[in-house]
Amino acid sequence: MKFIYKTLLFSLFTGLVFISCDDFVEEVDIVDPVAEDGEDYQPVDFVNGVYGMHTEFSYAFSYLGITDMISDNSDKGSSPTDSGTDKRALDELNFTSSSVSVTAMWTIWYKTIGRASQTIEIANTFEGQTAVPGARVIGEAKFLRALNYFWLVRSFGAIPIQEISLVERAPVEEVYEYIEQDLLDAIDALPLKSEYANTELGRATKGAAQGLLAKVYLYQEKWQEAADMANTVITSNQYSLDPNYANVWRVTGENGPGSLFEIQARGEIPQHGVQQYSQVQGARGGDNGWGWGFNTPSQNLEDAFNEAGDDIRRDATIIFAGETLFDGRVVDAGVENPRYSEKAYSSANAGQSDGDKNIRVLRYAEVLLIRAEALNELGQSSAALTPLNLVRTRVELPAITATDQAEVRQAIWTERRLELAMEHDRWFDLVRTGQAEAAMAADGKTFITGKHELFPIPNNQLVQTPEMVQNPGY
Amino acid sequence: MKLKITFLLLLSLVTFGVTAQDTKTVSGTVTDTRDVPLPGAEVKVVDKDNYAVTDFDGNFSLDVLEGDQVRVTYLGFEAQTFSITNDATYNIVLQDQSSELDEVVVVGYGNQKKSDITGAIVSVDNEEITKQPATSALTSVQGKVAGVNIIANDAPGSTPTVLMRGLGTAEGGRSPLYIVDGQPLTDITSINPNDIESIDFLKGASYANIYGIRAANGVILITTKRGKQGKTVFSFESYYGAKTILNPLKMANAQQYTQYFNEESAANGGFLLQDNQRYNTDWYDELLQTGTINNNSFSVSGAGENIDYFLSYNLYQEKGILEGQEYNRGTIRSNNTYHLFNDRVRIIQNLNVAYTNENPKPFGSFSTAYRQSPLVPVRYDNGRFGQSFVNQNTGVVGFTTQPGETLGRLNSHGNPVAQVYYEDEQINTTSLQGQIAAEFDINEDLMLTTRFGATKFYSTKKTYNDIRDQWLNANPNRTEAQFEAGRVPDEDGVSTEFANNSYTIRRLESYRWNIESFLTYNKSFDEHNLSATLGISRENYEGGEFTEAQAYDVRPERNLRNLNLRTSQLFNDNVTGDTYQSTNLQSYFGRVEYNYDQRYYVRAVIRRDGTSDFATGENNFFGYFPAVSLGWTMTNEAFMEDNGVLDNLKFFAGWGKLGNQAIPFNVQSINAEAGSNNTNYVFGPSQSLIVGAALGTPAIPLSWEVTEEFEAGFDFALFNRKLSGTIDYYNRLNTNAILSVRPLLNSEYSSNFFDEAAEISNSGFEFLVNWRDQIGSDFSYNIGVNLSTNKNRVQNVKPAYDGAIGGDLGNGRITKRLAEGQPIFAWWMYEADGVWQTQEEIESNPSLVSAAPGHLRYKDQNGDGLIDDRDKKYFGSYIPTYNYGINIGANYKNFDLSVSGFGVGGNKVYNGLYNTRLGGENISEEIFNKRWTGPGSTNVNPGADRDVEASSYYLEDGSYFRINNITVGYTLPEISSFINSARVYVTLQNPFMFTDYSGFTPELNQDGDPTTTTGVELSAYPNTRSFIVGANFKL
Repeated sequence: MKFIYKTLLFSLFTGLVFISCDDFVEEVDIVDPVAEDGEDYQPVDFVNGVYGMHTEFSYAFSYLGITDMISDNSDKGSSPTDSGTDKRALDELNFTSSSVSVTAMWTIWYKTIGRASQTIEIANTFEGQTAVPGARVIGEAKFLRALNYFWLVRSFGAIPIQEISLVERAPVEEVYEYIEQDLLDAIDALPLKSEYANTELGRATKGAAQGLLAKVYLYQEKWQEAADMANTVITSNQYSLDPNYANVWRVTGENGPGSLFEIQARGEIPQHGVQQYSQVQGARGGDNGWGWGFNTPSQNLEDAFNEAGDDIRRDATIIFAGETLFDGRVVDAGVENPRYSEKAYSSANAGQSDGDKNIRVLRYAEVLLIRAEALNELGQSSAALTPLNLVRTRVELPAITATDQAEVRQAIWTERRLELAMEHDRWFDLVRTGQAEAAMAADGKTFITGKHELFPIPNNQLVQTPEMVQNPGY
Repeated sequence: MKLKITFLLLLSLVTFGVTAQDTKTVSGTVTDTRDVPLPGAEVKVVDKDNYAVTDFDGNFSLDVLEGDQVRVTYLGFEAQTFSITNDATYNIVLQDQSSELDEVVVVGYGNQKKSDITGAIVSVDNEEITKQPATSALTSVQGKVAGVNIIANDAPGSTPTVLMRGLGTAEGGRSPLYIVDGQPLTDITSINPNDIESIDFLKGASYANIYGIRAANGVILITTKRGKQGKTVFSFESYYGAKTILNPLKMANAQQYTQYFNEESAANGGFLLQDNQRYNTDWYDELLQTGTINNNSFSVSGAGENIDYFLSYNLYQEKGILEGQEYNRGTIRSNNTYHLFNDRVRIIQNLNVAYTNENPKPFGSFSTAYRQSPLVPVRYDNGRFGQSFVNQNTGVVGFTTQPGETLGRLNSHGNPVAQVYYEDEQINTTSLQGQIAAEFDINEDLMLTTRFGATKFYSTKKTYNDIRDQWLNANPNRTEAQFEAGRVPDEDGVSTEFANNSYTIRRLESYRWNIESFLTYNKSFDEHNLSATLGISRENYEGGEFTEAQAYDVRPERNLRNLNLRTSQLFNDNVTGDTYQSTNLQSYFGRVEYNYDQRYYVRAVIRRDGTSDFATGENNFFGYFPAVSLGWTMTNEAFMEDNGVLDNLKFFAGWGKLGNQAIPFNVQSINAEAGSNNTNYVFGPSQSLIVGAALGTPAIPLSWEVTEEFEAGFDFALFNRKLSGTIDYYNRLNTNAILSVRPLLNSEYSSNFFDEAAEISNSGFEFLVNWRDQIGSDFSYNIGVNLSTNKNRVQNVKPAYDGAIGGDLGNGRITKRLAEGQPIFAWWMYEADGVWQTQEEIESNPSLVSAAPGHLRYKDQNGDGLIDDRDKKYFGSYIPTYNYGINIGANYKNFDLSVSGFGVGGNKVYNGLYNTRLGGENISEEIFNKRWTGPGSTNVNPGADRDVEASSYYLEDGSYFRINNITVGYTLPEISSFINSARVYVTLQNPFMFTDYSGFTPELNQDGDPTTTTGVELSAYPNTRSFIVGANFKL
């Protein structure tokens, strides 16, 4: 008995030694939080992810609010009772720093910039065979980063440059310098439109970067640089005007001769496009309404077209209740709003959430208008008429013959409004050219000078970084 | 209980009879062991109505017969019986009731005498637990333990949520650690409350910390019953009960609903309803039934020369208050102890088998019943379930339209009765839990304990979804032919929308085991008492696997449902499965306890835990968790002797560190998938999909949360232990609370990440006071009151980590936000400030864009003339700032009565049922009656047309007081020598609840996650009230 007892005791102590060993915790796989997914990704995969950001829903709703609805070109639309979260507030110019549309665009632009910077970093440090030259990937990423910074700076003014500080708002000039440098790098790195393989159609090109740079110069009133850069695009022989203005927004006009940069969309799952872009702006109600009916062209815009005798662009821009569209679709007269945006209309995916509508970001016609405006501001008003009248001739409008600088300036501004209507540019043109107060007054809204030139820094951003200073008036 | 035993003893003494006849007067004194006289002690001749009470000096005199049995009783002391001989004086020395102070408390890897405890530990014994019948023992002790907030859920088979000393974590695990007979478990649903001998709550860090990295949420020690010396005891316990809803809400009737709907619709330019509609459905009437509970237990226990045994069987059956809702649980427990080598070796074996069989029903039906219109019938004349269809042209609710008329919907909600009807789910679980332990007495002072325990859990869930019937019933105009047309294959085959049914079987298996060994040393010499424990343990848990298989078009008959037996081959099967990585835990622990003369106590504990869940730095998986506590029993000092008032006064203070390793992980990812919305793009003339990639938010390596706690307090007993209790203060600080942090809006990363971001502190006082007394020999009573306060604060949040939002109502509105200086996820919303009366008022004041007369008006907190997020304010928390419980017990002769109540205060709850409306929902009659009906009608309550913003209007006082239990029992006099004891009782559970809350119940816990809708009533299961009758027999 005593023996058994001692044996038991001994074996237990042996067991004790056995279980007192730290290695036990390493016997199962340790969670390593910093381990990355095993698959290999090429730098080009990451730049594709930057393009992908532009198909988010924000571009189908929030973006419309802060670019079009806020302007005199369009109204909130939809049912009177449907405020579209803050769209009514934007339309009526009483939005605040809590406005979800402003917050959404601030956020997505910065997130896109973040992805672009990550891509540049990855391409710079990538070791191994690359399917696509790293320089081109970096060029594309820099173009996209510049585009998003441009959208930010013209909306918010001084903004933090993400790569430098998340709190400190860099002065507008510094932001533009940063954008210019990215674009100059992109111009060096990117192929011409014609140099790309067919399968790469839709990627950022040298011409896109040059066109955007011309626009960036224009916004800074660097007239000479703007005129020159626009001319570089014009003389590159990569672009021309599609003779049929209306065709530009149809599926047959996608990536057409006048296209510098478009957000690509196919409209099938999973090759989706800008999520719900066409649906949000589709005709609402009636017997065959197909959309939510937001962002409807205004009476003011229709009047502007009529005043200019511009039937071609009016009819290509506006869907009228009761009309029969080019593809045979009859729009019921009983739809809730009198006008809808035709540039957002998709024949194939009218009301589907995944639309095939490419959003035209930068077109040759705008490059011509940039050159015209810059030349006019440089005092070369008669030279300015050449590119201006190219744009007018396409839509069968008589050539402008005036040579008075102020008159030409007004003609160019009007031309920009009509040519680029519903293309998410009007509000910034109004602010840039100082027409905003008068235009808003004419549209029955009150533009507060010193406040409405800029959107407010989103409240949620200020909650996180209270040191950041709010824009005046908010 | 004590009195009951006394009573039984009295009974048994009857048989002694009386032999001597001569009356004489005897006298004597009654003192305690320290020779202190006991005034007021009762000296009574057994079985006769003849007694005396001692005077101030403890003296008595009594007329007796020789041979009489005289019994001396005094509260707090062991009763003593003596026989009258020919002596004339009797000096009786009563012993302190050792059960009170020498009661042994389980403290983790050993026991300690209650008088030696220097921390906040609360023990609850079997009697307290079984008094309140419930599936979980924890539900039974709600309101009885200060500082332990048990939030019951009355759904069948559900586990209550337990919060000890406040909520100290936002994203980490919130459950306490359960240790059953030394074996760690995640919950105790598999344990029959009747099998539990005692539950010890280790509230404070100085005791809980022996469980180291898992102790931050408190530790609950469960000790199950074992056989006791004496004859074999057969015990039967049965009860039967009926359950109904406690706080039913009266909903608006058809006519009221119609009026409300029309007012809302008129304001929005919608269609109007006709006045006289066919149906007036009371959805709660249709949905709810009386539930039943039936519980039967049997146990046999005893002890032989070398073996103690306890064997029990329990069957608990509950039918819920929803049709078809069932929960059944059977448990078998066998606990044996083998005493070997003259009891120098003890082998202890425990086995618990639990199986459950459950048919859950959707809780969402409660909120659907609240929201669905009374104008909708349960079923239409054609037998189809009623839906919210309405003819918009005629305003008649129903599904018939003439050509040109529009068939619309009153609201977007379904039919709650159909919801319950179509939920066809069966869950079977089996849990096997076993343990073998051995205790060796190496010598008189040293003991070695080794335990091995393992648990295996199986669960099978079978879900049948009658797709065809639901498709048809979703719209009474749909026909079988239409459904069949959907079943004709096209190039993509047939959509599963048109499957006849689907059948899913999900199997889950999990396991855990632990092995531990520790040495215990106990030595007393002179006035020194020393005890030490040193041990190691190893645990493997959370490992498991599941498989899920789904097939379409199976046989509909319940017994023929089989994944392989299908009526068509139109659809493919889905099979998924996964395994769960287990966690390995390696631990070392040591403890030294010393006291000098039971006056001065010091205690130190250290635990070293290593876990496979973390890698912090250079292969360092280990953390140290120390604790110390001190105690001083003042009443054992010489100067306190004979003070006559204070029987016990012990001060204690302790400090310790605790861990919480149940925290979420950060894992670095690269997002790249074909279905992504924002990483893919199309290129080329044909716009082919090119899959892109993006970096996820970088992972920050995290380790366990560390909570530091300080506590101090005192135990006291006064007036011969009639009054006793504990008062203490605690302050615990989670030093590195992990929060889900939203990256800066202008940073490069999108998805939230976890980081150690803040401190969360919980502090408060706990009071536990008991009074008990005996009046005469027939009546005794006790009153226990406990109160605990809790102040919860988030502090030292890292810059830019603030502002996490929570309490999403599901309609784009949120109700909570995390901010420094506030309780964790405090309410955050607009402050309601009356009701807009007129359009002019709206136009001349800051208002929301959507504002209209009848809408709530919100305060412009920052005075900028606009109403936006910056005008939202913090409004406290759903976490009560105080909890209290009251327990009253009384015994009179054979009757016993107990009443217990529980309450909370200082909390706010959100009436989400009232607030979240999409339009056309029903409302309670109260809401109907108090609504705004036009300018001047009310400036408090919104009208039928109102916005859906979250505001303080819907935030209500969440305090309540509930009578948990009223029990009246009767212990039968000896009916036969065969039955040792028999008691019958009647219990009312939750008979009353006092609250100002306007919804169903302010006890809104959900899963206790502070970031979600805890504290918001959206679809909580209402409290129920039960009437129970039961009987216990012991043979």
